[in-house]
Amino acid sequence: MAFAIEKKAVTKWLEKLLESGEIVAPVRTPCGDVLFSTIRSAEQVVWDFPNPLHPPKEFVLPQTDPLVKIRRNGQHHEVEPIHDGTRRFLFNARSCDAKGIAFLTRMHEMEPADASYLRRSDNLTVISLACATPCPLGFCICTDSGPFLSDSYDAQLTDLGESYLVEVGSAKGEAVVSEAQSLFRTATEDEVSQRKKLEEEARHYFGEETCHFASAMRRISTGRVPDTLWEKMGDWCLECGGCNLICPTCYCFSVKDLGRDGTWIRCRLRDSCQYAAFTLEASGHNPRAQRKDRMKRRFFHKVSAQYYKRDGAVGCVGCGRCIKVCLGTTHMPAIVGAIRKGKWHE
Amino acid sequence: MLAIPTACPFCSCGCGFYLLAREGQLVGVAPSETHPVSEGRLCARGWSAHEAVLWGDRLRQPLLQRNGKQESVSWDEALDHVVGRLKQLMNAGKPVGVLGSSRATNEENYLAGRLARAGLQTNNVDFSYHPICRPLLAGLEEVCGKHAPSIHLNDIASSQVILLTEGNLAETHPRAASSVLKAVEKGAHLISVGYRKTQMARLASLHLQATPGNEGEVINGLLAAVLDLGLQDRTLVPIGYDALRRGLETVKKTEEVRQAAEWIARAERAAFLIAPSCGQGDQSRKDAAAFAKLAAITGHLDRSGSGLLPLLARSNVRGACDMGVVPDRLPGYDPLNDARSRQRVQDLWDNKLPPAPGLSAENLLEAVSGLIVVADDPPSVVPMGQRAMAAMERIEFLVVLDAFITPTARIAHALLPITSFAETEGTLTNMEGRVQRLRVVTDPPGGARPGWQVLAELCGRFDAAASFNSVSDVIREIGQAAPGYARMEQRLSEDGWGGVLLEDLDRAKFVVYPTGVTAMAALTSAERPYLLAREGAFDWSHDPLVSFSPTLSRDYRSERKLFPNGFVEIGKGDADALNLSGGRQVRLTSVHGESVVPVRVRTDFKPGLLFVPYVFRDRVSNVLGADGVTTVRVERI
Repeated sequence: MAFAIEKKAVTKWLEKLLESGEIVAPVRTPCGDVLFSTIRSAEQVVWDFPNPLHPPKEFVLPQTDPLVKIRRNGQHHEVEPIHDGTRRFLFNARSCDAKGIAFLTRMHEMEPADASYLRRSDNLTVISLACATPCPLGFCICTDSGPFLSDSYDAQLTDLGESYLVEVGSAKGEAVVSEAQSLFRTATEDEVSQRKKLEEEARHYFGEETCHFASAMRRISTGRVPDTLWEKMGDWCLECGGCNLICPTCYCFSVKDLGRDGTWIRCRLRDSCQYAAFTLEASGHNPRAQRKDRMKRRFFHKVSAQYYKRDGAVGCVGCGRCIKVCLGTTHMPAIVGAIRKGKWHE
Repeated sequence: MLAIPTACPFCSCGCGFYLLAREGQLVGVAPSETHPVSEGRLCARGWSAHEAVLWGDRLRQPLLQRNGKQESVSWDEALDHVVGRLKQLMNAGKPVGVLGSSRATNEENYLAGRLARAGLQTNNVDFSYHPICRPLLAGLEEVCGKHAPSIHLNDIASSQVILLTEGNLAETHPRAASSVLKAVEKGAHLISVGYRKTQMARLASLHLQATPGNEGEVINGLLAAVLDLGLQDRTLVPIGYDALRRGLETVKKTEEVRQAAEWIARAERAAFLIAPSCGQGDQSRKDAAAFAKLAAITGHLDRSGSGLLPLLARSNVRGACDMGVVPDRLPGYDPLNDARSRQRVQDLWDNKLPPAPGLSAENLLEAVSGLIVVADDPPSVVPMGQRAMAAMERIEFLVVLDAFITPTARIAHALLPITSFAETEGTLTNMEGRVQRLRVVTDPPGGARPGWQVLAELCGRFDAAASFNSVSDVIREIGQAAPGYARMEQRLSEDGWGGVLLEDLDRAKFVVYPTGVTAMAALTSAERPYLLAREGAFDWSHDPLVSFSPTLSRDYRSERKLFPNGFVEIGKGDADALNLSGGRQVRLTSVHGESVVPVRVRTDFKPGLLFVPYVFRDRVSNVLGADGVTTVRVERI
């Protein structure tokens, strides 16, 4: 079912939602960046923006994520889970990020389910903003995660000029519309077909970045990427971990207690499989001591048929963030391209 | 969630990011696409910058040592005691001193300098990283004047040629390495000079093999080869050019060196990156000077898009120098004996400055009876760490201002808790000369106070003319004391990211007189056939910003667990010849003495060399003495 909301009514909608929870939306900082942030007023939200470099996964899987509180009580320890039950509305997530959150949620729903994550994602309503103009480095068209979505959102907005088309994709999406029912009307047929036209047009505007996963997947899954190629590519990685930390689908973590005065908070820390010590074992043995092995592992997880079968998607939503953030030159399209062609920088 | 823009506190690349905070607590880091250095990219350290502040052993209350224990006291009591004890020592005619820090802000360093010179009436003021970078900076200064014309980190990416003498750029300065990678990807010629096939050396068009302490020999070869090509029309003839030409006539040049020289001489845009070397002080100075001469005579120091960058380890080395936290320099990095600068500072401080230069960091630790250490742990920084610790243990009254509990803080007689980089206002100056703001993101723990505030209070108690009510007051006074920093506050606030590039106010003509080279390799003998070199110039693993970060400290910790007695690295060929496998102990003997230490076998350097990582330098201090490179005998035991 599709609705429409006039642009001038959006402020009221946001104000209404602010009464019942926290709104996370892209906000322009004084330094000129756009960051997903909790807002205090509707005016802060930006509606025309390239996708922020820092992904909104911060609001389901924060970089520092307190999981349980451990308190000493005489001879015993009391353990109390920490649940973030705040109702949140994520506004203007781009299609790739909505897909990313859906990917993370599927992963954390697998048994044993991750209660801490799910409490956050259950309370999060994703209101995505379809991308009529793809971002310069995005390649979501190669990962089936944009520029417009047919799933993975609670509500999807499309900018129609004077109004937004609002497609509802879940009960949470229905709720955000019904809570401010008077602001919405049923979308006209014309508006729905306008949205389809915009989607068609957007597909023609993609930049040069493409990512041919199919061929890379065949080679990776069947061990047909020579070790020498991984080694060569490894020299172009500076082990910053940025690709993992900003990837909408990466969820690797480590655990560390933050202790003070007899109380400890056990925290999940976002981590990178590209860091040398990520797989270091207590014995001192490291199964992936060399950078080429770590890189191989990362792309096996992202692109292999085995994981594709399990996750129903490659571990990439084509947001293009790793291209910008990579301190070296080993981002997703570069590696997939090298694997497909069997050569690197030649 | 709060997202506050701030400067990275680690290396001197000077990246910027947003520190994220929730409910008054740091939770992470977000990159910035608009930051002029970072452009959205960060290294592993930057990505985990929040961790040490959160997980670190933080100082919360002032502590005074009583009956062998550090006990909590009020700020008033602590400050009274510190001032009283220092005055007592001064009245008794005992030497006192102050150590600033390359991880402290400009404002903290400036006040540390003022406290020493105007308050304690001594030029015994330095910072512990200074002994390491001093020869490098002195060499560059000989050729270029106060500051070598620097290339912007982002311009490196469009260089056609990059000459790099490195420790290991990918590890020491990942952001600079990033620009080098981008340039090489676009087809630039990377020429690496070093003794190890590092990641950068593997990507280089040419790797010019050097022996430790002898990088200058290679650079002199390049200089001679460039001189053969003749001066390119595009540069003014530097002072001493003809003498340099004559001095290098007999230098031998290999084909590789000729090729590299041609690339450098013909490039439109070239970057010259130089790390502090492990050679002896005087030789390191000469090597750095040769490096700068090469840049000068090829015209790359007076054209935009080209330039030189000294690869300084910590975030605010340049700032500490500019603030005059150096025994023979005033704010503005002006020589202490420069009459005009001296008058400027004396007028400003309304105080007569002591005339003679003070002691440098290593000597200062040995000589003073009273010492104030600002935000540093000298034993983990200076080349002879154990000796520094032993010296500090003998100091009658040691005052430490720090945010973190370090080994130095543990032995302090008075401990004054100050803010970390995430809890204070202030500025840092990166290696390009870019001044950037730190901003307050969270409250400091317990009763910790901003470092500038504590130092301003101490300054005031020794020196009636010192009065600072805000960090802005300090920034304003810095502008008066160091002309390059004039109107800094206004200039900073004009830019979103708050970055100001310092301009060289008094650019000198380049001076390129020849200097000799001592070949270390020639000093080996049948008795001591190996060269042992201290590798690297800084040990991040003991820096609190790394050691307290769960993510960043992991690999270092495991290395120390596996090698509790440290190790030296030996080449595969030598190991085979001596029948050594990894973990096996060897006895190293030099003119200074001997040490027994395990080996690690490596394949990325030539035979005849042994390396001790900077972190384990004290394990072979008997062998190295005060040297960075020495000849040794190696015996399997």
